[in-house]
Amino acid sequence: MTMTGSVHQLSRSKRLPAKVRGLILVRDQGLLMLWIAIVILFAYLAAPYFFTVATGIAMLNSASIASIYAAGLAVGVMTGVFDLSVPGTAALAGVVTALLLRAGVPVWAAILAGLLIGVLVGIVNALIVIKGFDPLIVTIAMLSVLSGTSLILAGGNNVSGLQGLTFMGTQTYLWIPAPVYIALALFLVLTVFLKTTRAGMRLLAVGGNAEAARRVGIPVSRYRVLGFSISALCAALGGIVTSAYVTTASPGASVSIVFDGMTAVALAGIPFIGGRGSLPRVALGAIVVATISTGLLLTGVQTYWSSIATGVLLVGGLALNMWTSRTATNLLLTGDTGKRAVE
Amino acid sequence: MRNERAFELESITVHYGHARALEDVDLHVAEGEVVALLGDNGAGKSTLLKVMSGAHRPTAGRIHAHGAEVDFRSPKDAAAAGVQMVYQDLALVDAMDIAANLSLGREHVVKGPLGRLGVLDRRRMRKESQAELDALGVRTAPMTRPVELLSGGQRQVVAIARAAARLGERGVLLLDEPTAALGHEQTELVEDLIRALAVKGTAIVIVTHNLPLAMAVSDRVVVLNRGRKVGDIATSLADQDRVVSWITGAAVQGD
Repeated sequence: MTMTGSVHQLSRSKRLPAKVRGLILVRDQGLLMLWIAIVILFAYLAAPYFFTVATGIAMLNSASIASIYAAGLAVGVMTGVFDLSVPGTAALAGVVTALLLRAGVPVWAAILAGLLIGVLVGIVNALIVIKGFDPLIVTIAMLSVLSGTSLILAGGNNVSGLQGLTFMGTQTYLWIPAPVYIALALFLVLTVFLKTTRAGMRLLAVGGNAEAARRVGIPVSRYRVLGFSISALCAALGGIVTSAYVTTASPGASVSIVFDGMTAVALAGIPFIGGRGSLPRVALGAIVVATISTGLLLTGVQTYWSSIATGVLLVGGLALNMWTSRTATNLLLTGDTGKRAVE
Repeated sequence: MRNERAFELESITVHYGHARALEDVDLHVAEGEVVALLGDNGAGKSTLLKVMSGAHRPTAGRIHAHGAEVDFRSPKDAAAAGVQMVYQDLALVDAMDIAANLSLGREHVVKGPLGRLGVLDRRRMRKESQAELDALGVRTAPMTRPVELLSGGQRQVVAIARAAARLGERGVLLLDEPTAALGHEQTELVEDLIRALAVKGTAIVIVTHNLPLAMAVSDRVVVLNRGRKVGDIATSLADQDRVVSWITGAAVQGD
């Protein structure tokens, strides 16, 4: 037997075949390469406006608000759920916080109330889904209920004059706007949670293979509640930050939040069947989307094109991801039978 | 001295309404013994496996583990009595590495305040997982390799090792088609592992279609046909053609 690292002697080899390692590199780092390519492209096409500090900061700011929603959606997807109620949760949390502020409640208490509403929505979502209902339908229904509720609470109007929230909206610290810091902190906390804690690991296990988790004695339902709660908490935070940024809470649920967020999640290569994914890459996904729209804006192309470009990119990213995963799995798994061994 | 009756089924009968899935089946397996349970589709292998793993309660009959009568109402009861089952689908989390898969459900957290926050001790999990595989004498891949990047045989090894690690002393291991869709070398890897477990005293029941596997790895073959036990013989005394005739129903033992 030679030591070429062929699949047949994997029982002895400690390294993966070079071809597989290459594929994994593309799968894991493709988005970063793509982003760098896009930045270089626009730096050339939209010179001299694109490659500036001011543009960079503006881009980061728009990416950060989108990424807060994307973080929640990503955790949901990793746990094995599509949470389509995110825009409704965001609207309700924004409106509740705004109304409480207007009623003279201290800022911290108003924000806390908004976030708690988010968690509550998540728990209710999960409790219904655990009963065996399709999460897609449940969260669409929840979206409908929540947007109605926030419209009623706000009397159908925007709740404006949220100057008390400027510190987490338009305020800059060291030239960088507050939402960037908030997004950064959120991603840091969630990443550490998923990567280093027992609850995070079990959450991913439930998302990856609920049956496997159940068989080793993990209380799967409890982790579903946790997943939905994190998703809804992020949605509420996003709603409050958005309201703070425009100093107005809008009671209408903006469905585009889900599409932009899911685009970032998909660009990050997180498979919608759950169980895996990297949050930093979701942040990068949100940055890629923001970069494309900013870049196209500055090159003077009609803004509608950015939506087309994002869609094309999305499918392209999925195709690349599928191709790398499949090829790698086939190379490793089939070995000497030519068939997939399990699943 | 080995316990000849590590796990024992007595007069197991299972009726689904009027359909008789199993009729008065006896089966026993000793510590360190590998029993291959053979039979055609619909012979009752899966039903018997479900009875042994606690997934299904028999209509009639008794089950003894190490001499004590047990009543399995769920796989949890079976696990508590030292019976672990490896399903054909393996139930591994593909995106997680070997160490995480082996530790899942009994993870270690670090000592001190961080541990109270649930921070994992990954190094310890890797070390113990490695030790568990070393103890079984199998070499797979680095503990940090995700299961999705393992070959079919290595996945099977991880699934068996996970069950074995939860068995404790004198356990009973049930394997459902452990080498289905595996190639020759991969099958050998799994066979070696099964033998290693038996040497350690584990009582093993393998449910399979695969006659060569049964002949290669078992001490005794038991054949089911249409819900009845039609053959039960030491593998060393078994004639392959005879066993095939039991499986197909052309003959029963004693003919």
